Amino acid sequence: MIPEKNPFVQADGAKPTCMQMLQLILDDEASEEQRLYFKNHMDSCMPCFKSYSLDSAIKQLLKSRCCNDSVPPGLIEEIKFQINQNTAS
Amino acid sequence: MEESQKQHYSIQEKNAIFNNEFLPHINSMYNFGYRLTLDQDDAKDLVQDTYLKAFRFIESFQKGTNAKAWLFRILKNSFINDYRKKTKEPSKVDYQEVEMYYNSEEVDRQITPDLRVESLKDMIGDEISNALNALDVDFRTVIILCDLEDFKYEEMAKILDIPIGTVRSRLHRARQLLKEKLSEYAKTMGYKNS
Repeated sequence: MIPEKNPFVQADGAKPTCMQMLQLILDDEASEEQRLYFKNHMDSCMPCFKSYSLDSAIKQLLKSRCCNDSVPPGLIEEIKFQINQNTAS
Repeated sequence: MEESQKQHYSIQEKNAIFNNEFLPHINSMYNFGYRLTLDQDDAKDLVQDTYLKAFRFIESFQKGTNAKAWLFRILKNSFINDYRKKTKEPSKVDYQEVEMYYNSEEVDRQITPDLRVESLKDMIGDEISNALNALDVDFRTVIILCDLEDFKYEEMAKILDIPIGTVRSRLHRARQLLKEKLSEYAKTMGYKNS
């Protein structure tokens, strides 16, 4: 069921902006109630819909292009060697 | 974080924690070190230093808790205290300005150029990586932690020693800046109004 009241409104009554809501959704920090509310909100808010598509695509692109560095060969052995030296002395 | 109470481990337990809980994160740690320093040798030194420190202070770590966040915090502190002091000046980001911006009504207006999803599809080379690397290190850091490593805001706040509100605002500003960079790339690739 779609919540009637905006569940993103904070305890002090401050109304969140679209971008603040979007960020919580995008980063999986929103509650189930907030997710439902936002899904419904997006149907009638074109800027949110566009930003959601774009921001999700950028997030995916970052993950697929910037996480591929593997540790240089020999580094694990070097670290273990140093630890053994330190604990032996 | 998980360091309030000192633990007592035998040497076998220490080695088991190190091998089973710390080492599985070494690729992420290297990637973080590289994205911070933008230099492979410096990244290697930073990772080595972090792991040696982690072993030295292993009794501050509670077995079975969030090892990845603990290691990232050590690496971040080493970067700030040892590496950054030696090399460059500290960053000059005015966070007060960022906070004010984030909390203002201005935020919902279209400030960044209208970058489109279609133009991202042609970014098959190093564009996104270069755009990320071009950001100021504090903005780069929050994107790495959130988007590359999937840390929650609460974990990020602990790793970076900043309030959650600052995590959110810094992340928001970082993404705006990243979109501006990507938009510049899209323009050079021939997308008009992209």
